[in-house]
Amino acid sequence: MDSAAHIVTLLLADARLPSGGHAFSAGVEPAIQGGLARHDVGAFLQARARTTTLVDAATAVVARRAGLIGASYAPVERAWAARTPSRAARTASTDLGRGLLRLAQRLWPQSPAIAALTAGDAVSPPRPIVLGAVAAHTGLDAETLVRVAVYDDIAGGVAALLKLDPGDPVDGVRLVINACAAVDPLISQLAALDSPEAIPAASAPQAEAWTEDHAVTNRRLFRA
Amino acid sequence: MPDSPLAPRALRLGVAGPVGTGKSSLIATVCRALAAELRLGVITNDIYTDEDARFLRSAGVLDPERIRAVETGACPHTAIRDDITTNLLAAEDLERDFAPLDVVLIESGGDNLTATFSPALVDAQIFVLDVAGGGDVARKGGPGIGRADLLVVNKTDLAPYVDVDVAQMVADAEAARDGRAVLALSRHDASSVAALRAWVITILASHRAGTHIAQDPGPMAPHFHADDEHPEGGFIHSHPEDAAHASDHHHSRTHAGAGMNAKE
Repeated sequence: MDSAAHIVTLLLADARLPSGGHAFSAGVEPAIQGGLARHDVGAFLQARARTTTLVDAATAVVARRAGLIGASYAPVERAWAARTPSRAARTASTDLGRGLLRLAQRLWPQSPAIAALTAGDAVSPPRPIVLGAVAAHTGLDAETLVRVAVYDDIAGGVAALLKLDPGDPVDGVRLVINACAAVDPLISQLAALDSPEAIPAASAPQAEAWTEDHAVTNRRLFRA
Repeated sequence: MPDSPLAPRALRLGVAGPVGTGKSSLIATVCRALAAELRLGVITNDIYTDEDARFLRSAGVLDPERIRAVETGACPHTAIRDDITTNLLAAEDLERDFAPLDVVLIESGGDNLTATFSPALVDAQIFVLDVAGGGDVARKGGPGIGRADLLVVNKTDLAPYVDVDVAQMVADAEAARDGRAVLALSRHDASSVAALRAWVITILASHRAGTHIAQDPGPMAPHFHADDEHPEGGFIHSHPEDAAHASDHHHSRTHAGAGMNAKE
């Protein structure tokens, strides 16, 4: 990767990036409202990293490949949707995708890979598809993309945790390190994925049920 | 000016101010005064519930579909200034779903005296204080009080009960704002409501004419502190943005009005 791609990597991992991420908790508020105990949050995040987060990261890898060769994102998005059974989770990802797309369109208006996201009458795609297109345009390699996708999701959840159930922020950093490490052995495998059907179908039914319940409550700090 | 085939986008009008000063109530008042002649939409930035949105829907002043709530992730300040994505998307959705709209009112989550809107989100903003928060608040200044397009001193009908001199509070605010508009408002005082209505119509007209420039209140400008023990009668200082952001920044000293509003 060249220097510019490294900077994009840092930007994508930065919570201050203005793309709307601060209004989301990566499933942590739904879990806590659903009864998850504070001492189980670490296990929850590791499970998320190995299931729904991993599906999103793999989707981003395959979307990046589509962006690089000019193929349609539609089959990738369909594969992602089939592996994301919670409607509330798909809606949240679409909202996050819109925020990131809005930023990407402003920063790189000439990018074919990014312009193709909204070709025709396509509705705004979910976050992993947009992330893959950004990676294709900016020159992120696939392994870096997986790391960024996993890190951003988990770090977003931990940032939310500090607002929902404040503890020692240093413990939060440990949670991020441990959850990201849970995916580490799989990174090269994930980075090599090259077709929509190869995206793993790892689901987390309890977390998805919590996300559904959370979407209909009117007492919450975070969108999802 | 040549006729333009493109109607300008709706005026996006921000309403900010501390918790409990009457932001939702002011929006309801604007809706009640203008819903018959203007096409309005409302976005609320609630902190923990959609209570403000529900209050406005139940007030019956606007079609409930035209009132939307966005989540702020416990960061109401971020959502209107540092990362306005969620609010921009909500405004665009509202303007698309009910096109054409004349005005979209965006209510900030109740925050402190430093919370103001990004000029990339709103075209103009109202900062709301109330007499019950104390007669000295306007004098304390801050970006919203100093440079919002309109400062409202709300709930003037309560002034006798909280020992606040409304005229003095308005005079303090005018001094802190270098002549920018200040409005003493009570929803029970028809003439003050009429003045608010007229202000919104005036801002909308200048937005449509392209003569209104969105202001960024930004961090507090360098300003002058009177100090008798200082050889020059006082001193000029400024606040780094982070310090102003970290807490309600209160000034215990008296400001000299003119220095407060120096442009950066």
